[in-house]
Amino acid sequence: MTRALLTLALVSSVAQAENVNFEVNGKIYTKWLYRNNDSQGLVSLGNPFWPDNITGDNGVGSEFELGLLGRVGKHVEAGVRIASRFGALWQDWWENGDIKYSEENTSGESLGMNRSQYLKLRGYWVRATFPTQWLESVLIGSSDFGMWNEWTIGKSRYIDRDNGKGVFLQGSPHTEYFRYTFGLIALPKLFVGPGWTTGPGDSLLRAPFYSQDWAYGLKFESNPFEGGRITLLGTITRDSEIDTSDPDAVGSLYPDCKDELGNAVPSCQKNGAVDAFSRYSNAVVTLEAQIDTWTGGSFNALGGWSYSRVDPQLATNGVKNNEGVFPLVFDDVHGWFVRARGELFDLGGADGLTLKFEYFNIDQHFMSIFGQRREGDVLLTDGFLDGGQLPTLNLANEFIDFDDLWYESCVGWHGGTVLFEYSTTPVDVALEGTVIGYNTDGQYRDVAEVYPTFLHSDGYTDTDLYDYANVLDRGRDPRNVYRQFQKRLSAIVMLKGLWRTGAGRGLDVGWKLKFIYDKDRRDTSEGMTQDDYLGLITTGRVWLSYPFFEGFTVSLGAQVSFWKEDNRRGTPKAGYGDDSTFKAKPFLDLRYSYEGLSFHYYLEYLYKDAERERDPSRTWHVIRSKATLEVAW
Amino acid sequence: MRPITLGLIALLAPALAWGDDITFKDPRGDDKGPGTYVYPTNAVYKSGSFDILEVKLKDAGADVEVSVTVAAKIEDPWDSKKWGGNGFSLQMGFLFIDTDRKAGSGFDEGLPGLNVRFPNDARWDKVVLLSPQGKTRLEAEIGSKAAKMKSAIVIPTTTRAQGATLVAKLPKSALGGAPSKTWAFQLIMQSNEGFPDKKDFLTRKVNEVKGEHRFGGGHDYDCDPHAIDLLAGEGKGAAGEAQAQYTALKAHTCDDNNPDGGTRATVPMIVPK
Repeated sequence: MTRALLTLALVSSVAQAENVNFEVNGKIYTKWLYRNNDSQGLVSLGNPFWPDNITGDNGVGSEFELGLLGRVGKHVEAGVRIASRFGALWQDWWENGDIKYSEENTSGESLGMNRSQYLKLRGYWVRATFPTQWLESVLIGSSDFGMWNEWTIGKSRYIDRDNGKGVFLQGSPHTEYFRYTFGLIALPKLFVGPGWTTGPGDSLLRAPFYSQDWAYGLKFESNPFEGGRITLLGTITRDSEIDTSDPDAVGSLYPDCKDELGNAVPSCQKNGAVDAFSRYSNAVVTLEAQIDTWTGGSFNALGGWSYSRVDPQLATNGVKNNEGVFPLVFDDVHGWFVRARGELFDLGGADGLTLKFEYFNIDQHFMSIFGQRREGDVLLTDGFLDGGQLPTLNLANEFIDFDDLWYESCVGWHGGTVLFEYSTTPVDVALEGTVIGYNTDGQYRDVAEVYPTFLHSDGYTDTDLYDYANVLDRGRDPRNVYRQFQKRLSAIVMLKGLWRTGAGRGLDVGWKLKFIYDKDRRDTSEGMTQDDYLGLITTGRVWLSYPFFEGFTVSLGAQVSFWKEDNRRGTPKAGYGDDSTFKAKPFLDLRYSYEGLSFHYYLEYLYKDAERERDPSRTWHVIRSKATLEVAW
Repeated sequence: MRPITLGLIALLAPALAWGDDITFKDPRGDDKGPGTYVYPTNAVYKSGSFDILEVKLKDAGADVEVSVTVAAKIEDPWDSKKWGGNGFSLQMGFLFIDTDRKAGSGFDEGLPGLNVRFPNDARWDKVVLLSPQGKTRLEAEIGSKAAKMKSAIVIPTTTRAQGATLVAKLPKSALGGAPSKTWAFQLIMQSNEGFPDKKDFLTRKVNEVKGEHRFGGGHDYDCDPHAIDLLAGEGKGAAGEAQAQYTALKAHTCDDNNPDGGTRATVPMIVPK
């Protein structure tokens, strides 16, 4: 008996010691997605370019992830995140992924790795902390790049949070006055570069070389006085390619230093080393001052500069060859931006009344290829789309579901916002007014070879019924900021609020009204008025929310939109049409939280009636839902 | 005016107004727990984000307005609106109140995850949550991790960030009446952890060495107080109050051989003066 107890004590001690050095966490995520159509898959909008077989509107699937944290030593820890590939339906029994037949069959091996739920190493990192202020910590491996900002190297979207890799150093030689962060970041080969590539797939490159493509970031922070913070940030992104005329390069044009006619190539000599050129480079610098010295207000000033250089010998011109779908201006350009923001609290002595104001001026040539792609917002305004405004053309409105937020590019925007917020116990109200002019205004802009239009630059964007190919007339691409002819002025007025009625367990009533005035004279030539665009977009939303019991809240509401658009789309030759669009969207939202379990269900009916002058009118009746269940431990 | 109306006004008056604000100050730069804690390494944890400068309780008619000012602008890096939150992400404040001032009455343990105790003669009767989390999530956490304290936990009607200040409003009735200067208070600043340990009430852990999302300078077991800053001394912001905080929070023990061993630090309750 004593021996048994001793053994138990020893085992227990060992187990405890292991627990201290080793942490495990897990998560299961399940999603149900249904719509009254016949597409099958688990993501409403998947890859817009390469076909995948996980995109679709009907299905249920799960994902498991495992996080391991090990304390290697007192000051060194390491972690990994392993997650199963998302995309398999519950119905996909036996999918192995080892074979992918050309069509689905009953073998259980027809859908490839996307549906085999294999566990993939998603993230891995080692962090060492040091007892010196000059170098406090070193992180090697995965990072979400949250240490930079939206204008330089943006924080990765949530689903990509561990995909980025690099080496990061942090130190604070003086805790208050001088802190720094340095990063060496491996460029994602599939989206940070001309044509969303750092080489692979570019037809101009004989031998794409991406293993030495890096970005570099350096940040200095200082609190020079109480309530003041200054941040200086610089990043350089560089995609390099090998010199194919170098005789040492694999696939060299002149492996023997002779041209096609057999003549010696001048200065050509093998030396065992391969030269490289820059295919694309982008430098961005920002300087930000945050001042909170006064309890009555808060102030922020941010400015920056960018330089973007693309080598037309090494990067295919997607503006010219890909119908304007390209994440950069295809030229060597430099641009700048300024943003100044102020907040005044308890204005005029009224408790809870806040005035926020902002001036923004973003140059038409401000380019940040590695800027934040989604899940961020750099401007105060509610904008045209509800998600947010980001300063890059390289936005990511893909791999999303119908209820996810959309993000729009604000490159070239110049204007200001005034926002009043009033918060009392029963009611919160916000009133916004924004005016936007455009630094991208111009006539005869070269959209054939230099400025990307993303093919679709006309009409208010319908994010409810979006399709990449635009067969449904969904309007402007959120990345579009350039037109061949543009002279545009926009205004946004928004009123939103929440009334906590206090009825029962706490009935809340919410509302949001938004009106957008959008005028674009387009071609301003003498007598050219038939192409003038005028969009009057009105959206109203109201909902009731009630917590029926502990952890369970039900919301019921509806959104109605009416768009009146003169000359929504067309060409001077074909003519333009005056279109009107009506949309109604009643919805139900359930949220349940119980211990570590979170459940969310959203159901909506979408009715859309598009009355189009030049094209056949269209009507939609869409019923769709999404439910998610998460448990983490 | 009818006597009955006058009588009603007289009855309601204490509930509607209690006079002067109750204000506490706290020294700048003492957001180090027992003097050794350091912030996590992730860039969202900006210097001063958990450093309490002022705590104020203000009369707002039938409500009490609680405001907590820290030494950095309060930000929302995790987009709290997306998860039903209140417009900020990082901070999590707990305002403990001893309303009856009776020894042995109330709770002597802090909320799970804070790893602190309260003096026997100043146990807390109410705690106000200043959290970025929405009501649904908070109710679920209370139900699963602090059910026995449920009636003493107050979720404000509104919680929002205003510059460097968290502002919460709650009915006076939730505290059992208008705050009194005879009550004792303690504000503990922690960080909101959306994926907390199964025993922790949305609190971020403190380890021996800082991690990307964990404070450092403590112990890897849950014996150390997971309180980054709190009120100490007389709550007037005097320099010596930082040392008083360090001394109070250092007064705990850990057992390296037993994760559940050790003794908890006792945090003081402050009576406004």
